Amino acid sequence: MAAKEARDAVGEYKAGWHDPENATIRFDFGLSEQVVRDISAIKNEPEWMTEIRVKAYHHFENRPMPTWGNMSLLKNIDFDKVCYFLRSGEGTEDDWDDVPEAIRNTFDKLGIPEAEQKWLSGVTAQYESEAVYHSIREDLEQQGVIFLDMDSGLREYPEIVKKWFCSVVPYQDNKFSALNTAVWSGGSFIYVPKGVHVEMPVQAYFRINAKNMGQFERTLIIADEGSSIHYVEGCTAPTYSTDSLHSAVVELIALPGSHIRYSTVQNWSTNVYNLVTKRGIAHKNAKIEWVDGNIGSRLTMKYPAVILKGEGSHAEVISVAYSGKGQHQDAGAKIHHLASNTTSKILSKSISKDGGRGSYRGLVSVSPKAENCKLNVVCDALILDENSRSDTYPTMEVANPTARCEHEASVSKVSDDQLFYLMSRGHAEEEALAMIVNGFFEPFTRELPMEYAVELNKLMALEMEGSIG
Amino acid sequence: MDAASLYKSLDEPDKADHLWRYTPWKRVHPSGDLSEIPVTVAPKLTLSCLDDNVALVGISVEEGIVGAEVLPESDEVTSSFIRAAAGDSVYTLRAENNFVASSPIVLDIDTGDSPCALHLALDIGRHCEFELITQISGAAPWTGVLRSGRIGDGSILNDVVIGHTDSGTLLRVDSIAIGRDAQVKAGTVSSGSERTKADLRYKMGETGGHLNVLGSILSASKMHLDHHVEIHHDAPETFSRLDWHSACGGNSRTVGTGMLRVAKGARGADAGQLFHNLLLSEKAEADSIPELEVSEHDVVGCGHGTANGPVDEEQMFYLESRGFDTSEARDALIAAFLNSTLIEMGSDTLHHWLTEHLQDELNDLKA
Repeated sequence: MAAKEARDAVGEYKAGWHDPENATIRFDFGLSEQVVRDISAIKNEPEWMTEIRVKAYHHFENRPMPTWGNMSLLKNIDFDKVCYFLRSGEGTEDDWDDVPEAIRNTFDKLGIPEAEQKWLSGVTAQYESEAVYHSIREDLEQQGVIFLDMDSGLREYPEIVKKWFCSVVPYQDNKFSALNTAVWSGGSFIYVPKGVHVEMPVQAYFRINAKNMGQFERTLIIADEGSSIHYVEGCTAPTYSTDSLHSAVVELIALPGSHIRYSTVQNWSTNVYNLVTKRGIAHKNAKIEWVDGNIGSRLTMKYPAVILKGEGSHAEVISVAYSGKGQHQDAGAKIHHLASNTTSKILSKSISKDGGRGSYRGLVSVSPKAENCKLNVVCDALILDENSRSDTYPTMEVANPTARCEHEASVSKVSDDQLFYLMSRGHAEEEALAMIVNGFFEPFTRELPMEYAVELNKLMALEMEGSIG
Repeated sequence: MDAASLYKSLDEPDKADHLWRYTPWKRVHPSGDLSEIPVTVAPKLTLSCLDDNVALVGISVEEGIVGAEVLPESDEVTSSFIRAAAGDSVYTLRAENNFVASSPIVLDIDTGDSPCALHLALDIGRHCEFELITQISGAAPWTGVLRSGRIGDGSILNDVVIGHTDSGTLLRVDSIAIGRDAQVKAGTVSSGSERTKADLRYKMGETGGHLNVLGSILSASKMHLDHHVEIHHDAPETFSRLDWHSACGGNSRTVGTGMLRVAKGARGADAGQLFHNLLLSEKAEADSIPELEVSEHDVVGCGHGTANGPVDEEQMFYLESRGFDTSEARDALIAAFLNSTLIEMGSDTLHHWLTEHLQDELNDLKA
């Protein structure tokens, strides 16, 4: 796609507008035990959840910041200048007409209601701290599929939530999982009953509107035996000169024979720090796939993980990252082979441009008792100009002699031969570059629902504009 | 600041740094009390030539050090510690400009049986062409060897270090600058000590430098062999390859970590690293972290790879069908695996010497 065409189609960072703030509840900046208890009280949560939140808060307070990744950017985060809870609506509606007009207009501009009608099984739209809209197709509901925002999930299915909450990502896992557990709000709760296949994807869309906002959604997906689901999430925020913080936790539980695919197109504005913990547990013969696109944000540190706990389980992580001016995408994957005959595949692609920095950071491990495991990791990076940087930090720990493990990575520039070939066929240099970049990302985009893939290609063409000359 | 004061002013290394992730400093420090700098003895150094008929003219080992600063890219904790522990045990291996040897030069470092430390400066002149085998042997419970220096412009050097101390801990630090248009093969053969921590750093700071880093590592019983290789491409048109083969048996563990750093301005850099691990027993473990940091877009290519696996069943079957028994076939495949990097380390003479050495080690492993 030509860059001009792309610009016509999507404009500049098209999600960068903001609405006037119209909060019904807005907490003061800063975090304390009282803030944590207040969030829990507003939501009228059971006591056990309040207790977990408080424990997580104290863990967060005592846990030092990570000493790896981009420490110079991490230290810029001022936790006292973040708003930890902001409610904009009166509750979660199941009809777009009941959503406050300004918020509805926002989601209209983002195309969510239109997408819902055309190709989705269900939608959750989160605005600031809580979901403002939620729906699921009736036939899925009749089959017992539960798709709710996380707050409603806790209210309506406390036993299921209690059983699985923090079971995959404990609050002690890292500083940001502790923060999320302390102040989580919103997110998705999904349970797919045995043998049910949700054919069309369900989608969650996360929007930050206010300045200095912290969004801490929590997502829990449980796929029961032999079931399958594809969950898609997208996210945007206005462009402000001050920073916002997005720190989500996602827990996936794929019970025997089930299949979860979790696709993300992250397009936060470049004032957002995106520090996310995503992890799934795959039981016997289950399959978990993370399809992860990182286009926006100032700093992303995100390493979708899979614990292959059951024999014959499989994991795949396909990720792309675009790092433009001032951005650092520190993304990767972690896969732990704990059981025999498990397989995994990681494909990571990144592009750095205009001084951006793309990093792949990954860990794959094979435990001593896991026989006959196979894993393959491929990282490719393109650096488009002299000011940009690309890093790969892969770790491979193998403690079983029957494992077959491969890792390969390459960093290069766009090939002059490829550019010459396309230009000799009549494409302008900028068009040719956009085509090469789209081709580079193709293994990722072909895994996305078509609408997302088209949008991503447009975005990438736009980002490539001005790369030549 | 002297080395002891510098060491004492430094913080304990962080395990988040992958250099220390698998072998914390405490594990390779002689006593485990990190504030302590032990009293060591100087090793016995002998310089000879594999061919007795070749006279050692133009190459020498002298007491004391002239120049040969440790690179700023090197780890301060280990380099300052060895310098402090070595005290007066400092030597310079000097090769005069245009020194050429037709047969490998051997530097024997005999550690004796007490804690031992050495700072050896390499002062290799311009347009030299020779092979150097540095053999570290002995029964010291702890040995620290720091090699710093520069390979002169246009020199061709095959530099192989063999670590086969009887037991104990070997801490080895290399901090070497590659001169303009110099061609260096830096080989490591490791199979002896119970615990090895090697931190090998090379600076490609001048145009046209060409470096091949090769490793042939054999671990058995409860050995723990940790090698970190860091190559800094700071100048244009520099080339490096790292090829590291580890065969890991018994309850042993090998760790291979690598860092290729291509600085902004290192146009035309061509850098690659490969780690291969062969796991020979159920309780053996091999870890690899090949890292890459590239800040220059106009590169020929930068890449890395790792591969782990058991002895190939099809190859075993092939050899057994040709009359090898299972044990012989396995030994042949292990030897071939390790030999694929040994053969790249230098001349036929050097290779022959190395394979004989390796065969002894394989026999020990079998025993």
